[in-house]
Amino acid sequence: MYQKQFLSFRVAVPIVLTILSITGCSTIGPPKDSVAAADLAVREANKSKAPQYSPLELRRATDKLDEAKRAMDKEEYIRARRLAEEALVDAQLAEAKAASEDARRTASDVRQSLETLRREAQRSSGGD
Amino acid sequence: MNRIINQWLNDRPLYTMAALMSLIMGCSTTPLALEQARQNYQRMERDPQISQNAPVASYEASQALRRTEEEWEKNRNEDEVSHLAYLTDKRIEIARETARQKVAETEAQQLKQEREKVLLESRTREADRAKQLAESRAREAQQAQQEAEARARETQEAQRRAQAATNRAEDLEKRFAELQAKQTKRGFELTLNDVLFEFDKANLKPGATRSLTNVAQFLRENPERQITIEGYTDNVGSDAYNRELSQRRADSVRDFLVQSGISADRITARGLGEEYPVASNDTQAGRQQNRRVQIIIVNDNGRNARQ
Repeated sequence: MYQKQFLSFRVAVPIVLTILSITGCSTIGPPKDSVAAADLAVREANKSKAPQYSPLELRRATDKLDEAKRAMDKEEYIRARRLAEEALVDAQLAEAKAASEDARRTASDVRQSLETLRREAQRSSGGD
Repeated sequence: MNRIINQWLNDRPLYTMAALMSLIMGCSTTPLALEQARQNYQRMERDPQISQNAPVASYEASQALRRTEEEWEKNRNEDEVSHLAYLTDKRIEIARETARQKVAETEAQQLKQEREKVLLESRTREADRAKQLAESRAREAQQAQQEAEARARETQEAQRRAQAATNRAEDLEKRFAELQAKQTKRGFELTLNDVLFEFDKANLKPGATRSLTNVAQFLRENPERQITIEGYTDNVGSDAYNRELSQRRADSVRDFLVQSGISADRITARGLGEEYPVASNDTQAGRQQNRRVQIIIVNDNGRNARQ
């Protein structure tokens, strides 16, 4: 008697939990907005200097976006949402890194040209 | 039931302890991902450059961390917390990169301004140098022009002087032609013959004065000229007497010229007697030609007299 009750309890709890989690999933619905936002962010990043200066981050974002879309098709909506959200920040990071690298290169170029100019000015003023 | 539990506990004490511990810790300790996100966020907050240069991205990172903390507080869903912690980490990285971008842009801006300044300075210096060069060239050109003008004036002056000299020379020749003077290697020679003097006298006849006035006029106009007056006689009479007479006649001519205002320094008067006859003394006509006074207007560079 004891044995039977115990067993039924052990079986019942996971079942209830599973039902709960399934209903929880189904109530969330497809994260269309998140995927759309990620898609836009990846496209923006592709238009920026990211392909040149931060290709790895951009690739990660693209892969996650693709996987999010596949998860959508499989109706794995929680996974799809998380992947889409991560793809978005990855794409934005790729863009930010590229812009930052670009700005540093510009600064370096200007610094170099300034130094060249200074040397020339010094030479011409010192030489005469 | 108690017996079974006791036996299970006795058989597997460590296993049970670990299971209990994991249950307790699962409830109370935060997931590793959240812990790391908090640390990353604290590190970001300690960097004043990030909040200064990337305020929006910093705010988004703080919001991401707050959502992660709330998820942990409310639902304790570790998968979702890990996911949110990942988003937080990326937001922090974005803030850091945005700040670095801003710093680099600010630096580039300053460097560009500096470059503009240096460019402007060097251009100003070049312009100054060009201006100085142009000015010195203008000065040189002006100087050259002045020199050229001076040379032109000198040339003109020289031409004028040459012309004047030519004019004077022509004048001279004309004047002497009037005086019936003739050009010899000693200079212009003008011969006054004895008709200008009384016989055996040294006084000038009035007719002589016209010719001598012309000579005086010429000497006044040409103050650099010297003259030599040489008196001659024929061979009648003693040699000494003739020499003395010829000297007196030469002196008469000199005196006339001195009275006319010509300095005696410029005049040499000599009596040479019957020497250097210009014609034969055997005839009346020849003797008349030999009685004469010659006025020689000495060439500028010529010897002034017969020695």
